[in-house]
Amino acid sequence: MRPHRLPLLLLGYLASVSFSSAVPFENNAIVRTLELGGSLVHVTTTYAIKALEPGVKTYSLALNPEEREKTSWLQVRIKGEKNELPIDESEPDQNRPYHLINVKLPRALAVNGTLNIVLETVQTHVTKPWPERASQTEDQALKFATDLFVISPYSTGVQRTKLRILNPRIISFTEPKNVTPFTLDSPVTRAGATVTYGPYNNIPASANQDFLLTHQQPINFHYYHDQPVIELLSYSRSHEISHWGANLNTEDKIHLYNAGPALKGHFSRLQHQMQGFYQPKSQPHIIPALSLDLPPGVSNVYYYDTIGNVSTSHLRAVQSPPKGMPVKSPSVLDLRPRYPIMGGWNYSFTLGFDTPLADSVGWDAKTGKYVAELPIMTLFPAAVIDNAQVDIVLPEGATDIEFFTPYPAIESQISTHVTYLDTTGRPKLTFTYKNLTPKHVDNIYVTYKVSLSAHLKKPIAVAVAFLSLFGIAMFVRRIETSIDPKTKA
Amino acid sequence: MRTAYPIPQNLSPETVNNTASLLRIVALILISGAAIASRLFAVINFESIIHEFDPWFNFRATKVLASEGFYEFWNWFDPTAWYPLGRVVGGTIYPGLMATSGVIYNVLHALHLPVDIRNICVLLAPGFSAFTAWSTYMFTKELKDESAGLLAAAFIGIVPGYISRSVAGSYDNEAIAIFLLMFTFFCWIKALKSGSVLFSTVAGVFYFYMVAAWGGYVFITNMIPLHALVLLLMGRFSSRLYVAYSSWYAIGTLASMQVPFVGFQPVKTSEHMAALGVFGLLQIVAFAQLVRAHVSSKQFQSLLYYAVVATGLLGAIAFALLTYKGWIAPWTGRFYSLWDTGYAKKYIPIIASVSEHQPTAWPAFFMDLQFLIFLFPAGVALCFRQLRDEHVFVIIYAVMASYFAGVMVRLMLTLTPVVCVSSAVALSALLDTYIDPQEPLEDQEESKERTKAPDASNGATTHQDSTPVSPAMPKKGKKAAATAASSSSATKTQTTSSTVTFILDALSSSSTKKSSSSKPRGIFGFDARLAVILNTIGMLLFFVYHCTWVTSTAYSSPSVVLASSNSDGSQHIIDDFREAYYWLRQNTEKDAVVMSWWDYGYQIAGFADRATLVDNNTWNNTHIATVGKAMSSSEEVAYPILRKHDVDYVLVIFGGLLGYSGDDINKFLWMVRIAQGVWPDEIQEANYFTPNGEYRVDNQASNTMKNSLMYKMSFYRYPDLFGGGQATDRVRQQSIPSPGPTLDILDEAYTTENWIVRIYQVKKDDFLGRDHKTANAFAQGKRRRKAKPPVRRKALLA
Repeated sequence: MRPHRLPLLLLGYLASVSFSSAVPFENNAIVRTLELGGSLVHVTTTYAIKALEPGVKTYSLALNPEEREKTSWLQVRIKGEKNELPIDESEPDQNRPYHLINVKLPRALAVNGTLNIVLETVQTHVTKPWPERASQTEDQALKFATDLFVISPYSTGVQRTKLRILNPRIISFTEPKNVTPFTLDSPVTRAGATVTYGPYNNIPASANQDFLLTHQQPINFHYYHDQPVIELLSYSRSHEISHWGANLNTEDKIHLYNAGPALKGHFSRLQHQMQGFYQPKSQPHIIPALSLDLPPGVSNVYYYDTIGNVSTSHLRAVQSPPKGMPVKSPSVLDLRPRYPIMGGWNYSFTLGFDTPLADSVGWDAKTGKYVAELPIMTLFPAAVIDNAQVDIVLPEGATDIEFFTPYPAIESQISTHVTYLDTTGRPKLTFTYKNLTPKHVDNIYVTYKVSLSAHLKKPIAVAVAFLSLFGIAMFVRRIETSIDPKTKA
Repeated sequence: MRTAYPIPQNLSPETVNNTASLLRIVALILISGAAIASRLFAVINFESIIHEFDPWFNFRATKVLASEGFYEFWNWFDPTAWYPLGRVVGGTIYPGLMATSGVIYNVLHALHLPVDIRNICVLLAPGFSAFTAWSTYMFTKELKDESAGLLAAAFIGIVPGYISRSVAGSYDNEAIAIFLLMFTFFCWIKALKSGSVLFSTVAGVFYFYMVAAWGGYVFITNMIPLHALVLLLMGRFSSRLYVAYSSWYAIGTLASMQVPFVGFQPVKTSEHMAALGVFGLLQIVAFAQLVRAHVSSKQFQSLLYYAVVATGLLGAIAFALLTYKGWIAPWTGRFYSLWDTGYAKKYIPIIASVSEHQPTAWPAFFMDLQFLIFLFPAGVALCFRQLRDEHVFVIIYAVMASYFAGVMVRLMLTLTPVVCVSSAVALSALLDTYIDPQEPLEDQEESKERTKAPDASNGATTHQDSTPVSPAMPKKGKKAAATAASSSSATKTQTTSSTVTFILDALSSSSTKKSSSSKPRGIFGFDARLAVILNTIGMLLFFVYHCTWVTSTAYSSPSVVLASSNSDGSQHIIDDFREAYYWLRQNTEKDAVVMSWWDYGYQIAGFADRATLVDNNTWNNTHIATVGKAMSSSEEVAYPILRKHDVDYVLVIFGGLLGYSGDDINKFLWMVRIAQGVWPDEIQEANYFTPNGEYRVDNQASNTMKNSLMYKMSFYRYPDLFGGGQATDRVRQQSIPSPGPTLDILDEAYTTENWIVRIYQVKKDDFLGRDHKTANAFAQGKRRRKAKPPVRRKALLA
């Protein structure tokens, strides 16, 4: 990777500074849309590019390094197409003013050929509650900051940035200054829940020190958000495949944190009950309950925490569809924590369930292997998972294990896990992730072989154990312990 | 011969024996199953959770043992209990229970059965109840026979008196102690009967286990010496008694001294002196026996006389001197309260405040034992008829345990086994008589030879009592096997092939049937038998029904989770305790100190993992009184106490909204009493009553009551909940005056859904150096001025 990136970088530098004719592309238009949420900000940037030189197959995107750091999901597509374009990027470096992502185009464009490239990202931990503390009756307001201009190593014809929120309750936003070189109209307009910066015209190549120092400026956005800001500080999932039980057990250990404004003063039950009585909807920074989608066909759902079962929840279970049919509707679990989670409060719990093994594991007759499809996470709407760990426990005696992850894990390893009635232990795969968003809801595929003898290990072990128990009992019963054979007690 | 109903004739004796043995095993397994199953109501109705108060500490200690190992557990110093004093846990507990769970945990994990430690703890008591049933079977078998043993096992398996302390989740010392008690007694009886060192050693080892497991071991420590003493006085001294007692005492005492909490108590405290004394006495008697074998009778008489007088005097003087010198500790308060039920209330209110230390109410006997309580005297009376050594034991046990059960509710537990045993003896005697198919005989020829047979197994000389062959034999008809029967009745080893004999043996073992009169006496016909047997079965069925009902309704509540029912009849769980504890655990600082009444100390430590001032291990009365004082005095007095003890949160239980009667206001008088015991000048119980002497919380309540921290914390903002309406306390059925009390030194931090648990945070010192009252008034005044037009009534409110 390293050797061929350096020339490209150099090329980018040189190109933008002096040889404008040597630049392979220019952007006709860039439109950036930011959908502001609580924990997540969804950014879609569309680049309408035009090739200036023939035969160039690599297009470079530039991002603020800080922004890249906070981007936990990133995808580049051609507009209207589904397939992801392959990208190539270096480690984000805070010291450099910008971060480059090289996109491999499917085919080289002819001179003046155009293409629309879409960069979609999800940023996490970019909003902060402001004011930082709110009492039970106050509203939840968040603050968000970003850069005014989308930077690019190429010059841009016209550029817009749209910020969109869920409801039109905007408190304030920054009026950009010194944008007269690019626009003569008002630099920012607001329409309902959308604020649009731009259009700004004729922006030179902006991924350079020069432009960033003179023109780039931060914009702040302050708005009311009426969804709770949920952060899962840790999420550890474990899948356990049991062939004998025809069962897949999934267990999540979750530490939930309300990242909204911290509770000002103390929690008053009286106020909480009054609020519930007079207005049906409580303040957005109070989480009274969560609603989660579990797979169809779940059974034995359990929800407990360190000190026992939590009895306040409802499950609407749905039968699993016949094999091959698409999943129509999920089972829904309405989960009520022990106490309403106020801003800044923690709540940790364990959620587990069984699903029929046939729903997620199949047998591939061609290779003689089992193929398991195991979801990485349960969807927590609009929540970010800071640290995730996924354990997959395969049946005892599984061999030839291969796995395929939808996106690379930070760390993955195989260890041995010993549980009920095991003799040698089961292989356990462990994957570690950071900053997962709803976009990351996907499956890990694992293939493995289990021989007949491995299948039979368990019954044989149990049979041997019982047999030896009876054997010992028989033997002990026949031992004469008395010293005097006559006085048998 | 004539039988009341037909019995099979063509079975070999081996078949009968084997079938009987198999049936016994199956019956025992079923009894174990029933014993375990009936204790699972708590798990099925609620969940697998540790119950009540003390079990939470045991559970916490077990977790330490399981995760850190035995040595860490042994040296465990718990800095979060009795803040700021801390508690040396290893040296202040009976570790038997935790060690048992720890061993089970480690064995299961070694076998690759990774059972959660909580489930082991929850299911330990039901598991051990199966063992209790088995050891009761063994014990009763020694007393009478196998069928009585099975009945006793069935009784102890499901009797509520034992279930009350051993439902699933009731992870307390009693859970394993009753098994150890019965098994030690069984081994003792067995050792006494056979003079076997093996059994007395086993008795000693199990005695050690018992010492390690429960403070009630003192019961064994005094029961066995008492039995030995009574046997001695009855003139039944024998080498078997000597061997059994000496081995048991030597091994048991030495072993029990290895438990740190017991230490040198066996040789230093009064409770253990009886055992030591009897041990000495037995040595003297044995020595006297030896001397008697060597000197003439006349000399021996005088020698014995002087020796007895001298040793008696010496012993008494030595005992008095040692007690006076302080070498032997005098009786403890708990012990005195066993003799004088009013003692504790006067001198140690902390003991009297525990409900299980109250004297037993009469209905409790019926509730816990049902018809066994009626059969119990009959069984004891039957013991008098044979009066072998083990019967003497049961009689003494029955007398002692009956007394103690009357004095203290929790000692009902020690009474239950003996009630089961003697009721089983009585009932099985009844059934033996009525199931026996033998019709009474017309002629009286056998009556002579019959009279001598029953008493053959009496007395202390024989140990073949488990083969009650002989009594059945004489009743045989003269036609069938008269010769065989008459010749073999004494020798027991007959070679008759008559299968009838064996079936009769298996069915009937009523050993005493005296028919000295000329007219035949007995039960005639099938209908007479059937009437009695059906009645008995009916009684047994009602007993089972009663036990199940009591277990499911009275004894299976975890008490941390409350159940109520919705309007549609479905169960509704009230989970306020855990809500509050979990909130504490998740949303307060790790080193926060929580003050509450001592009842909730173990629960806070277990559920919430926070430091507490006082807990259920009530070893420091002054510390508890300090908490009592803080709760019962005004804010100004309480605040320095709270600050001095670094209290961050105060937790109170308030049942007024829901009608939960076990709340702190109802316990409040005990706090006042205990505080009064230490600070009689500052806290007086009388101040908390109305002038009429009533305990009230409405507007007639005394000022001291209304100003007490407990009252304020309980009712803070409570009237606001009712809007403009009249606020009612549903426990005391009194209306709370509005506006409710104000709090200056505390902030309401959390209140649970049904207001059962209320947590307050102690304010830090005001940063401007004002007192809290002024600061609070200022803050409120300012806020009010901002929000509304100026309010002139402020002065009135303040």
